[in-house]
Amino acid sequence: MSHTAKRWSRYIIAIVIIFSLNFIIPRAMPGDPLTNLLGEDVILTDSTVAELRREMGLDRSWSQQYLDYWRGILHLDLGYSFHLHSPVSEILFSRMKWTLLLALPSLLLGGVLGTFLGALAGWRSRRKGQKMQTALFLAIYCTPPYFLCLLALYLFSFKLALFPLKGFYTTGSAADIAHHLFLPILVMTLFSLSRNYMIMRGSVLQEKSSLYAAFARAKGLYDDEILFRHVFKNALLPIITLQAMDFGFILSGALFVEIVFSMNGMGNLIYDALLSRDYPVLQGSFLIITIMVVSANLLADLLYSRLDPRVRWQ
Amino acid sequence: MRRGLYQFISALLLCILILGIAGQGAGNSSATVLKIGTPNVVKSASILGDSNMGVFAHLSNPTLMKMAADGKVVGLTAKSYEVSEDGKVWKFIINDDLYWSDGQKLTPDDVQFTFSYLAENYPAAGWMKKTVDNISVEDGAVVFKLNKPYSRLNLEFATYPILARHIWEKVEKPTEYTNEGECVGFGPFYIAKTDLGAGVIYFQKNPYWKGASPQFDSLEIHTFSNMDVLSLALEKGDVDAYYKYAGTYPYASMQKLKDTGNFDFVEKDNIGLIFLGMNLQKEPMSDIRFRKALSSAINYSEILKLDALGYGQVPNAGFVPPSMMAFKETAKLEYNLTLAKSILEDAGYKDSTGNGIMEGKDGKDIKLTFLTRTDYQRTTELMAEYLKLLGIDSEVKNVDSSTWIKQKDAGEYDLTITRSTPWGMLMHANWGTGYFDSRRTGEGVLHVLDDPVFQKLCDDILAATSQDQLQDYAYELQDYYAENLPAIALYWNKVETPYNKAWQGWYSDPLYGIFNVDNFLSVEKKQ
Repeated sequence: MSHTAKRWSRYIIAIVIIFSLNFIIPRAMPGDPLTNLLGEDVILTDSTVAELRREMGLDRSWSQQYLDYWRGILHLDLGYSFHLHSPVSEILFSRMKWTLLLALPSLLLGGVLGTFLGALAGWRSRRKGQKMQTALFLAIYCTPPYFLCLLALYLFSFKLALFPLKGFYTTGSAADIAHHLFLPILVMTLFSLSRNYMIMRGSVLQEKSSLYAAFARAKGLYDDEILFRHVFKNALLPIITLQAMDFGFILSGALFVEIVFSMNGMGNLIYDALLSRDYPVLQGSFLIITIMVVSANLLADLLYSRLDPRVRWQ
Repeated sequence: MRRGLYQFISALLLCILILGIAGQGAGNSSATVLKIGTPNVVKSASILGDSNMGVFAHLSNPTLMKMAADGKVVGLTAKSYEVSEDGKVWKFIINDDLYWSDGQKLTPDDVQFTFSYLAENYPAAGWMKKTVDNISVEDGAVVFKLNKPYSRLNLEFATYPILARHIWEKVEKPTEYTNEGECVGFGPFYIAKTDLGAGVIYFQKNPYWKGASPQFDSLEIHTFSNMDVLSLALEKGDVDAYYKYAGTYPYASMQKLKDTGNFDFVEKDNIGLIFLGMNLQKEPMSDIRFRKALSSAINYSEILKLDALGYGQVPNAGFVPPSMMAFKETAKLEYNLTLAKSILEDAGYKDSTGNGIMEGKDGKDIKLTFLTRTDYQRTTELMAEYLKLLGIDSEVKNVDSSTWIKQKDAGEYDLTITRSTPWGMLMHANWGTGYFDSRRTGEGVLHVLDDPVFQKLCDDILAATSQDQLQDYAYELQDYYAENLPAIALYWNKVETPYNKAWQGWYSDPLYGIFNVDNFLSVEKKQ
C-alpha cells in the first residue's frame, strides 16, 4: 500500500471511530433529551412521559439508534432537534455562518500578525521595545479569556459607548454587523495573536542559534534576509500545527466570546446542547468538528511535508 | 518591514473603528420603544415549544384568565365565568371586542379550538383529555363539561395562550412549529419578528386592539446570555427594565443600580421559594423526627442574610408563603441546635463512638448524599455546615441540571436544595403539592410523597366545589406540611425588578411578574 493510501486509510478509520464516539459520549452522560425539554414547572403523568420518549425514539435500543445514526450520516441527514424545533442541518448552517464570520478573521489575523510579530520578537529579542511587546502579549496570553472579554466590553462598549453590548447585529446591514463584530473579533484576534506570538518567538529563538543561521550570517546576508528566507520557514512548523488545531476547533472555540457578547453561534449551541442533552445537535456539531479537525490535520501533514524535507523523506 | 507591518495594523484598526462608529447612528427613530432585558434566552421561535418564548407570547396571545395582584383568578380573554354547583360545568363568557392583528375577530370558537387543540397536541395540557369530556360554544361563551369536579380549571387557564383557529388549525405539531416572522395575536401588542441572531423579540401595537391604548409604540425584548452584561446594559440605558420569569434581579447587583439614581424597583413577595427537598423514600429522611431535628438545625436568618441579602423573611413550617391565596400562619421555623440534638437523641440517633457523627438505626455513621446544582452551591455548603454541627456527615454532589433531574428521579440522593416557581406552587392541587405528590413527575418536582393522607388532600382540593371548601383544604394542607415537613422552606424572598425612572406605571402580578397585559397598558414614558 502506498504512503498516500496508508495516510488516507488512517484518516478514514479515525473518522469512523470518532463518529462512533460522537454517538456514544452524549448517551453516556446522565439524562436524555427529554430531561430538560418541557421546563421546570410542568408536571406529567408517567404515561405521557412514556409517549414522549416513544415519539423521540428514546425507547429504542442503543443498537437500533446507532444504526439509524449511521443511516442518517450516509444520507446526509443529521436528524431533528426537539429542543430547537428544527432539522439539525438547518440549525448548524444558520449558526455556523455567524461563528465563521466571527472566528475566521480572528484566526487569520491572529495567525498572520502573531507569526510575523513573534518572528521579529524572537529575532531581536534583546531590544527594549521587543521585551515590552513580549510582556504585553504574555499578559494577554495569561489572562482568562472570559475576563478579557468582559474587560473589553466594559471599556469599549460600556464606558466609551463605541460598540454595542450584545448580538451579531441589530439592523442586519453590513456596517451594523461590522459594528457588532469588531470588539469580539478584536478580543479573539488578541488571543490568537498572543499565542502565536509566544510560540513563534520561542521557535525563532531556538532556530536563530542553529548553525545554518550562523552560516548565513557569515556569508554576509542581511538580518531580515536570514530571518525571512531561512529561519522563518523552519520556525513555522509548530505554528502550522497550532493553526491546524485552531482551525479544527474554530466552531466551538468562540464559546466564551459568544456567552459574553450574547451571540447565538456554534459555541453557545454546543454548550446548550450539552446541558440539555440534545443528542442530534451534539452529534451533528461533533460531526462537523470531526471533519474539520481531520481535514485540518491532513492539510497540516501536507504542509509539513512541503516545508520540511525530513518529513517528506520519511 | 516592521514599520510597514505596524502601518498595516494601524490602518486596519482605524478602518474598522470608523466603520464601527459609523454603524452607531443606524436605527434611530422618534418612536417610543420600551426595551426590556432578560436572561431568559429564547432558543427557538416556538410559542409552545420554547418555555421562554411561551412566557413572552402571553402579551400577543393572552390567556383566558389571569391572576390579579391579590392572587385571585379573574378573566382576561374571558369577561367572566360561572361554575356549576357540582363543579363539573364551567362557562367562560368571552370578551366580544377582541381582534386578531390580521383584522379577524376573536370568537369563542377560537377559544374552543385552542383548548381542544392543546389537549390533543400539547403534552403539558394532556391532563385535559382525562378531565374534560366536552368543550362547546354556547351564546358567546365556551362551556367545559368535566367528568369530575376540578376546582382549579380557571387557574390552569391562566397559563395557556389563546390561539387563532385560522392559523393554528393548519399546524399539525404545535410544539415543533416555529415562526420567526409575524405571529398573529390579539393582545395590545403582537410579535412582529423574533430575531434570534440579534437576540431580540419585536412587538408592535395591534392595530385592531379596542381596549385601553398602550402608552408607547413598540416593545423589544432583548435576551442576554450573560447577567453581568445585562446589568451593564441597564446602567447604560440600552434597556429600560429587567425581567426574569420566576426570578429576581440579583440582590448583590441592586446597589450599583440604585447608586446611579436612575432606577427604581418593583418589589413583590415571591410565591415561589427556595427549599430543602428530602428523599422521603429513604432512611433517615423518612423519619419525621429526623426531619424535625433537621428543621431546627438550620440557621434561617443566616441563610436569608447570605443568600438573599435580607430581601425576604424566615419561613414558617407550613411551607406556603404568605403571598399565596389562603395562606395560614403556622409555626415559625427557628434555629435551635440544642433542641435539634435532643430530638435526634429522643428518636434513637446517637454518637456512641464519640467521633462527632450520629449513627443511624443500622448502627453506622449517618452520611447523607446532598445533591445540588451550581445555582445552590453556596446554600448547600451552608447546609452541610449545619448538618455537621448536628452530627450528620454529608457528601455534596454538585451536578448539572440534567444530571440533577436524572439522579433525583432515580432517588439517588438524601437531600437536595431546589426552588419552586410561582406556577410550580400553583400546579397540581395548588400550594406546592405538585412538587411532592408521587403520582406526578416532571423536571423540577421531587414526587417523593406517597402518604395517602396527603394524596387524599390533593384529590379533595382538586374536587372542591366552593371557595370556602378550597380554603379549608388549603389550611389543612399547610397544617400537614407543618406537621410532617415533607420539605423545609429555607426563606421566603422578594422579587426585585429594576426599571429606569424614565418610565412609570409598573405593575407586577404574582404569576408572571411585570410580563402581563395590564402592565404594558399601564407603563408610560415620563414627559
